[in-house]
Amino acid sequence: MQQNHTQLADDSYFAAVTNAIRTETTKLLSEGTVAAVIGYQAGTRAGTVIPTIITDAAKAGDLVFSPGCVNNLALYLTKAKKEVRPAGKVAIIAKGCDMRALAGLLGESQLKREELHIIGVACVGVKGAGAGSGEALTTGTIARKCRECTVRAPEGADVVVGAVPPLPEFSPVEAEELARLEAMTPAERWAFWKGHFSRCIRCMACRQVCPFCYCEQCLCDRNRPQALETTPRPAGNMAWHIVRAMHLAGRCAGCTECERACPMDIPLNLLNRKMARELKTLYDFEAGLVPVEKGPLTEYREEDDQSFIK
Amino acid sequence: MSRIGVFVCHCGENISRTVDVERVAAYAAQLPGVAYATDYKYMCSDPGQNLLKKAVAEHQLTGIVVAACSPRMHEKTFRKAAQAAGLNPFMCDMANIREHCSWVHENRDEATAKASDIVRLMVERVKRGKVLEPITVPVTKRSLVIGGGIAGIQAALDIADAGHQVVLVEREPSIGGHMAQLSETFPTLDCSQCIMTPKMVDAANHPNITLYSWSEIESIDGYIGNFSVTIRRKARSVDEDKCTGCGVCMAKCPQKKIPNVFDRNLGLRTAIYVPFPQAVPNTPVIDREHCLKFKTGKCGLCAKACGPQAIDFEQQDQLVTEPVGAIVVATGFDLYSIDRKPEGSSIEGYGEFGYGTIPDVIDGLTFERLASASGPTGGKILRPSDGKEPKQVVFIQCVGSRAREKGISYCSKICCMYTAKHTMLYHHKVHDGRAYVFYMDARTPGKCYDEFWRRAVEEEEAVYIRGMVSRLYQRGDKVVVMGSDTLVGVQVEIEADLVVLATAVQAQPNADSLAQKLGISYDKYNFYSEAHAKLRPVECATAGIYLAGACQGPKDIPDTVSQASAAAAKVMTLFAKDQLEREPIVARVNERNCVGCFACRKVCPYGAIEEKEIRDRQGNLIRTVAHVNPGVCGGCGTCQATCPSKSVELDGYTDEQIVAMIEAL
Amino acid sequence: MEHDFEPKIVAFVCTWCTYAGADLAGTSRMQYPSNVRVLKFPCTGRIDPVFILRAFQKGTDGVLVSGCHPGDCHYMAGNFHARRRFAAFRQLLEFIGVDLNRLQFSWVSAAEGGKWVEVVTELTERVRAMGPMVEFKELEMEEHWSGKLDSPELKEAYQNI
Repeated sequence: MQQNHTQLADDSYFAAVTNAIRTETTKLLSEGTVAAVIGYQAGTRAGTVIPTIITDAAKAGDLVFSPGCVNNLALYLTKAKKEVRPAGKVAIIAKGCDMRALAGLLGESQLKREELHIIGVACVGVKGAGAGSGEALTTGTIARKCRECTVRAPEGADVVVGAVPPLPEFSPVEAEELARLEAMTPAERWAFWKGHFSRCIRCMACRQVCPFCYCEQCLCDRNRPQALETTPRPAGNMAWHIVRAMHLAGRCAGCTECERACPMDIPLNLLNRKMARELKTLYDFEAGLVPVEKGPLTEYREEDDQSFIK
Repeated sequence: MSRIGVFVCHCGENISRTVDVERVAAYAAQLPGVAYATDYKYMCSDPGQNLLKKAVAEHQLTGIVVAACSPRMHEKTFRKAAQAAGLNPFMCDMANIREHCSWVHENRDEATAKASDIVRLMVERVKRGKVLEPITVPVTKRSLVIGGGIAGIQAALDIADAGHQVVLVEREPSIGGHMAQLSETFPTLDCSQCIMTPKMVDAANHPNITLYSWSEIESIDGYIGNFSVTIRRKARSVDEDKCTGCGVCMAKCPQKKIPNVFDRNLGLRTAIYVPFPQAVPNTPVIDREHCLKFKTGKCGLCAKACGPQAIDFEQQDQLVTEPVGAIVVATGFDLYSIDRKPEGSSIEGYGEFGYGTIPDVIDGLTFERLASASGPTGGKILRPSDGKEPKQVVFIQCVGSRAREKGISYCSKICCMYTAKHTMLYHHKVHDGRAYVFYMDARTPGKCYDEFWRRAVEEEEAVYIRGMVSRLYQRGDKVVVMGSDTLVGVQVEIEADLVVLATAVQAQPNADSLAQKLGISYDKYNFYSEAHAKLRPVECATAGIYLAGACQGPKDIPDTVSQASAAAAKVMTLFAKDQLEREPIVARVNERNCVGCFACRKVCPYGAIEEKEIRDRQGNLIRTVAHVNPGVCGGCGTCQATCPSKSVELDGYTDEQIVAMIEAL
Repeated sequence: MEHDFEPKIVAFVCTWCTYAGADLAGTSRMQYPSNVRVLKFPCTGRIDPVFILRAFQKGTDGVLVSGCHPGDCHYMAGNFHARRRFAAFRQLLEFIGVDLNRLQFSWVSAAEGGKWVEVVTELTERVRAMGPMVEFKELEMEEHWSGKLDSPELKEAYQNI
């Protein structure tokens, strides 16, 4: 299917963001405001990026921002690469969706705001699955999550870099997919998910890449009692994905890293989206940019809906 | 390796009639981990218990399942027997094959199969049981009482009389609370001050009571048996130890026209003052807002006149810390101010009743001051605007109460009675006057209460009009009250000289902030919540904190005093032992796995979860984890179901036990 | 009465209200289907959704979760937390494709022996009419990775490596 796709934001937008990040990084590191800056640097193949931790102002020029900057770097504040992150205040490059994760982690006592310097990126969007590293960011290559983004301007960051140019209206692909699933009969949905989960190889990339899966010992790795079967059999896979969705309910910030990291292309974010929507309907909760004291499943109101209870 | 003993009870024929108990015992005997199984006519009888004890010794049993009635019936019995046999009592569980099986199923095969299943599940549970030791917590046998009204005074006196130290904290310069403001009390019409002031003096003079008046709670740490309370002793500007209470300072004070809040602003006081003559302690306070010395630096007449040189303009707030084991909260109530919407409240005002704008519209407490012999009018009923004796008085009940559309749906409970009392007091003092009462219902449950109300209506000539007032306005020197008499079905209009509103009883304005300091819960009206509406009406859910009086909800004096004594009894029960012992069904944190997200703390209904810092040998903070205070934990296990990594576990209901049972389904 | 299929029903109940309510049904000698197996918890707040999942995986055909009415919780708020947790969990299960007719929630107080009988009977009969819960059981039976290794997409991808 051939379609005409418009390019979103020209190179000058990304160059401006990149420059602003470098300037800010130089300033922060040379003034000693932070001990490190967590950002993106160019990957070995053109158009790709890899997460990086910069501690030397002279290396600020390594940092980039491009449509390939898909990673949610919040991960590197909690569980990933703990050993290479220096102690002290750290700056982090955060898109709006990443900032929601930071807000969640702050609310869950995993981060301290005073130890964090957030360089927010006013974000046009990043490329989605299937887009080649050489391709530009267009209405065709933009990630599904970015089509429905509500946090392009990351309010509450210590500094915001870039300015979002006017963007076209996107069709909400993921919302449409969610609606399609919801319209199915339970049996059809079971078949849909069974098909997907049965392919799961339990590589745990979804867990490893999730900023909220920061437990020292994951429930699914416990063996006394063994809560979930650990081998990649369909039954255990189903249980794992249900438990994962349940544990993220009311916490997931919608960065969709799980789905991106999944080598088997399981549409994991549909589960997260569904739970987020239900919690919005039930308890008017939405993951936002501001940390909240309690999530929808750690608080209650006496008048909560109980129409499902006899 | 587990060696479980299974004992299947016939319960006479209650179980064996429908359940083949021998088959169940035979089935149990071959279950993995079961070392011995038998059946017996009456397991709970002495021979039955002896059978169990003998089997423990003979078969070296490590755990016991008694398949019999509900654990709610005999769990304690068998756990005691197990303990006597040398087992940990928590290694004994019951399989409920009577209430949940033999009594509810008729088919013998089905019931036998189900009973076998129940036994199997319980065997799995006991196999994974843990030895649990009772938890003991030391108890500091001193008590804090917050609030020096009748509730606080009663509780403090009871606890002090039992021989325990009490710290009584009162926010105002004097104890006494609202009861000290009242004229006479229903249903006996005895003078409030006459019964109240001796109690105030008793409290102040009691060797076991430390009274901190003009003081507030700054912060509270700790838990049942072991609280640490920091109290802010507000600067009085008068040295309590030196002051003799002679009152010369007040006579000398040139600032004499400050409205006295105690008299509902009808009377006046000086800048250095006691709120009322019978104040306890009888030590004045300097109101720094109005004192010339503080405002202008000039004056100091009181200091010059003071013989013992008790005046101290330099005095600062002082923080004192008191260790206590129990806390009684008795902070009382406030009246609904109908002229304005309270800040941050969902409650709407009653502008239409003219309170605050029409001087001769007053509330019930103001009427109490007018009727009080020690009040601003010396007990004469004189209206505020011109000091004339009102000949027609309209009382309006349920102002604010039972008005869902205004934000309060509850009944304030005391207004029907005090309004009836007001009409009597008025009738006694103004013989040719007439009292009208607009009411919705007359609610008079209580000893001699309905008789009292009937007396107001039948003997004291109060005119009760069933209906609500629609409008009220000033016409000349009269207040015109328009309303409907719903019993007769006519509109009524009364030209009143004075209108008295029975305004709703509300929680104290900052009740919520005190609750947060205490870690106790409160309802949407900011009244403090009891642990159980029926069975634990005096205790807070937070262990070691008890409620007395109207801070929990509207209450009259007898109810308040009863609850205060009940709270004191609870405190004494706690203090009866040196150590607090409790069932060890509490949550424990696996500190190695806990990542400190504190979801557990967010859901804990008891505030039992604290932060614990894990440090290395050099004292560097490695991480912060959750810690359950076993003295406070209620044992519900909500924390465990919430914890993503299951790093907190409820003893007695561990995941291992539950999953084993599910696996055995 | 003979039935072709007898469902396995599991009830997760709190000890203070529903367990006591079931006791009352017993002391009142009320009758109900014997299919139900009761697992006792201190509070519905202790009930982890994983347990429900696990029960289905173990071949349970219907699950009941029951506790104290709102405001009656022995621990004040355990049932309120449970209510939210299960409101969310049942939506998730439904989205996965589980027929929610197999999962019943109820408040049964210590005084409601009759309600206990009613809830258990209703669930048992409903699930009996629905037939066995095959979905999870079938998954349990599947030993192998069920993805098609020889799909055209995978072949193409393999060629491109």
